[in-house]
Formats: sequence, C-alpha cells, structure tokens
Amino acid sequence: MMKLNLSKEIYCLEAVQKAAYRFIDRLTVLIENDGDELACNIDPVVGHEAQFEEHIADFKREILDQQLRKQIKEETEPVRNLILAYAFSRTGLQG
Amino acid sequence: MSKFSPLAEYEPQAGQYELLPFKFEPLGDGDVVLTNFVGEFAFVTRGELQDTVSKKLKPGSSTYGLLRSRHFIREQGDAASIELLGLKTRTKYSKLRNFTNLHIFVVTLRCDHSCQYCQVSRQSENKAAFDMAADMADKGLEIVFRSPNPAIKIEFQGGEPLLNFDLIKHIVLQAKKINATQSRDLQFVITTTLSMVTDEILSFCKEHKIYLSSSLDGPEDLHNKNRPRPGRDSYGRFVDGLRRTRDVLGYDAVSALMTTSPASLTRVKEIIDEYLKHGFDGIFLRHLSPYGFAIKTKSYAAYNVDRWLDFYREGLDYVIELNKQGVRFTEQFAALLLTKMLTSNDPGFVDLMNPSGAGIAAVVFNYDGDVYASDESRMLREMGDTTFKLGNLATSTYEDIFTNEALLNALEDSFTLSAPMCSDCAFENWCGTDPVFHHAMHGDVLGRKPESEFCKRIMGVVRLLLERMKNDPKAKEIFMVWANRC
Repeated sequence: MMKLNLSKEIYCLEAVQKAAYRFIDRLTVLIENDGDELACNIDPVVGHEAQFEEHIADFKREILDQQLRKQIKEETEPVRNLILAYAFSRTGLQG
Repeated sequence: MSKFSPLAEYEPQAGQYELLPFKFEPLGDGDVVLTNFVGEFAFVTRGELQDTVSKKLKPGSSTYGLLRSRHFIREQGDAASIELLGLKTRTKYSKLRNFTNLHIFVVTLRCDHSCQYCQVSRQSENKAAFDMAADMADKGLEIVFRSPNPAIKIEFQGGEPLLNFDLIKHIVLQAKKINATQSRDLQFVITTTLSMVTDEILSFCKEHKIYLSSSLDGPEDLHNKNRPRPGRDSYGRFVDGLRRTRDVLGYDAVSALMTTSPASLTRVKEIIDEYLKHGFDGIFLRHLSPYGFAIKTKSYAAYNVDRWLDFYREGLDYVIELNKQGVRFTEQFAALLLTKMLTSNDPGFVDLMNPSGAGIAAVVFNYDGDVYASDESRMLREMGDTTFKLGNLATSTYEDIFTNEALLNALEDSFTLSAPMCSDCAFENWCGTDPVFHHAMHGDVLGRKPESEFCKRIMGVVRLLLERMKNDPKAKEIFMVWANRC
C-alpha cells in the first residue's frame, strides 16, 4: 500500500474521488480526511501489482485533469444552462 | 488622417473571452482533444489547454481562432455561439421524439444452421413450438402502428426466418393494408443466411420491395467453420443465394453482416478481401456480443476487447489504404461514429444512443409473443434472464409495454450524462449506453465504466479514429466522405 497526501487548499475532494473512480479497475483508493489534507490509501487491484508505480503516476496526472475539468465545469455552468434553454424551449430559432 | 481606425482597434483584448462548456481527454502523444457541448472537437497541446482556461490565449493566434470558430470560447457580446450550440443540441436529440422505428418480428427460432455463437436458434421440425402464430403477429402490427414515428422498419429475424415465410407474407400484406390509411414510410428487411432462398420468395420480395440482410463471415473455410449446417455448404449457398437475389431484386437490395469469432481475429484482411470479391462497398467489423458465445463456449476470455481492438485497427488501416488506392469501401462502424463526430446528425444506431436505444429506437416481438427491449434482451431470455421482457402481445397494451418499469428504469439508470465517468468524458457525445450488456456482464444496467468492455471498445475505436485524423490528412478526407454518406 502507498499513501498519497494532498493539500485541501489545492485539491478538492470531488476531483480526487473522480480520479479514483477512473482507476477503479487498476487501483483501490480509499480517501480520508487528515487535517488540512486528503489522505489517499492506495493498493493495486489484483493482477496490477507489477504496474503499480506506473498507475500511481497516471493517477496523479488524472487528479490534475479532474481538477481542471471541475474548474471548466463550474465556470461554464451558467452558459451550459443557457444553451439547454435555447435547445429545449420554443425560442423561435426553429424553422 | 485615415478615415478608419487601425485593425488593432477592432481586435479583442487578451483575456476578454469567456469559456463555453467543453470537456477534454489526453491523447497518447501528449496532446489533448477538446470536445464542445455538441461533440465538435479540436486538438491542442497541454500548454494551449492551460492557456485557454487561464484566459491567456492571444486573440491573433491560430488556436484562438480555432477554439472560437468551434464554440469552445466566445467573446463578450457574442450571442451567436450560444444560439448555434442550442440549435445543434436540438438537432442532435430531434430523433428522440419520433420514438420507435425498428420493429423486429422473430418469426421462428428454427434454423438450418447450428452456429456456436448463436443463443437462440433451434434444430427442430416442431413448427408449433418455435414459430410465431398469425394472430400474435397481428397483435404485433397493432403495436407497430401505434408508434408515432413517420418511418417504420419491420425486420424479420429468426432462427432462419425464411423457414416461416408464410408468416412473413402475412405480416407484409397486413402491414401494407394498415399503411394504406397511415402513409408511413414503411420498409421491410429479412435477416437471412440466403441458404433457403427460392424463386418464389424472391418474387414476393421484389413485388413488395423487401430488402435482404445476409451474413458473410469471410473466406469459405472460415464462413463454413463459423456457420455449420448439414452438408457444410453454408458459403456455397450464400454465394448462390447472393447471385440469384441480386439478379431479381437488384445489386444493392442485399447487404451482408459479419460475425467475428476467435477464428476471425488473425484474418481481417482476408475477410475484407472476401467482401470486395463479392462487390460489397463496405464491411461492418463487428465485435462479438457476449450473449451465448461467451457463456456457452467459455472462450470469451480469449477474445477480450484488446485483442478485438488489434483486429479492428488492422482492418481499419487496410480499408483506409484501399481508399487511398482509389477503392471506394467503407468500414461501417467507423462511419457511424464519424457521423456523430463530424456532423450534427445522429445515425440512430442503437448501441451508440443516449438515452439507450433499447425499446425507444427498436423493439423485439419474440416468436411466443413476448416483447423485449432489444435483440440482446431476447438472447438474455434464452439464458434464463427475463429482466428486459416488457410484456406479451397477447395480454399487454402499447402503454403497458412502453411504460414498463423494466424499460424506464434501464433508460434512466444508464443515462450517460448522469453516469460516473461518462458525465465527464470527452467522448460522451459520440458514445452510447448499453444497459442490456452491462446488466449481463456486471449485474447492473450502468456498470463500472473503467471495467466495462463496452467502454474500452468505444474509447479504443474513438481514440484510433482521432489519431488517424490528427496524423493523416488523407485519412481525414476519407472519413469525411464516410460521415456524410451514412
């Protein structure tokens, strides 16, 4: 098992959870609060022991991607709702 | 003094743009692919992605122009991009309101073949036990014409449906009679190996414009191995049936589908050559569904998705090469995906729909009157699982069938926009959901996507198509043609 501690100031729980889910076939990641940090306890899924280090490196990159995805999603939420409003209401845009 | 202000006056200022909704996925080469709200895409570097989100893109740069033209960013006051994305979203989902188009009648389970991967066929002379009755078919037609869809396709499946051709004739004549007052765009298809085709059958098909969908698995030895029948002459019967069918119905009135078996995996070029030899203008390099084959022969493990993706990659590259040499030939699974990736149209392919196409794009009337949400659902039934049985023609109304909890729950629970991983996936717009597959393999209609062979297969093919488009402009030109004729 390995432990990965992440600062809560920089990483949010949702991003770490989503990254962990994406690796569910390769890594078992249990997340717990550890003061100002999120502590990830990581084990390889059976059959993935040999690539454990590689998966950990990919997992770290995925956390960064998830953090960025969250930022984009939050910033674009109002406009996403506006597009859906155009799409599914009678705006006169249809022929 | 100039009458006009310099160009710089009209250029947007750095940092004054706004992000539109988009998703991204890393590619193998270090770059990323971005997809916008409706699935239009762009390739950028990691640095460009960071600059985009940090509002550091320079207005005069090519990336700025690319991302603005494809609705990833918009400038202040630019309302058109929102309106266009709204319209494209509406177009994308427009097929949903038409509801069910494809209605499959399983007119018999009897078959002259005994293919190992087929779950449903029966080697039986007992017509009463495995043939659909005429009164059941009539009830099926009542359901068919309750569909609000202006286009109705009735497909006859089996077993070998030609073994119950009298019922096919009955259904066609009845459907046309009903349609005389309904004026739907009515189409008929018979899925057949062509082994039992006769002049009388072809004559009826010609009179009623019935299309034949057949099966060709590859060269003679492979086809006969996959499709055993008495006399071991499945291939010979196919070739003879194909010639006679084309002579009577016309060259394009018969198509062929292949089934990929473990024996196919090393022979993709030979399989494609076989399709070319018989004058087909495309091939659907299908994956093998787990129903029947996996459970019955226990060889599914040897046939995992990675091995299939190698087979698919080799086949796709061969087809691309043929096109570069001037041979017009399409790989049809790629064409379906590319239509979603490169146009605003949705081809309505059941496996690539969200919400799932089960029930709402296609519905199956089994020989005994049981109604299933998809062809795979009735295969599950043969494995003893009736989860996706929506009713029975003898007792269920249209409302009973299409508001059945088994259907509604499956559609809702597998909806990708609220599914873990799918909701953030950059390929979600091009993908679909397959509740029946995930139920069969994982025990719930959603499944864990990182462990899902469906997810791996679609992701694998999409990545392959993206890589070819990114690195091979000629391949992209070929793909554009496929996407626009599908």
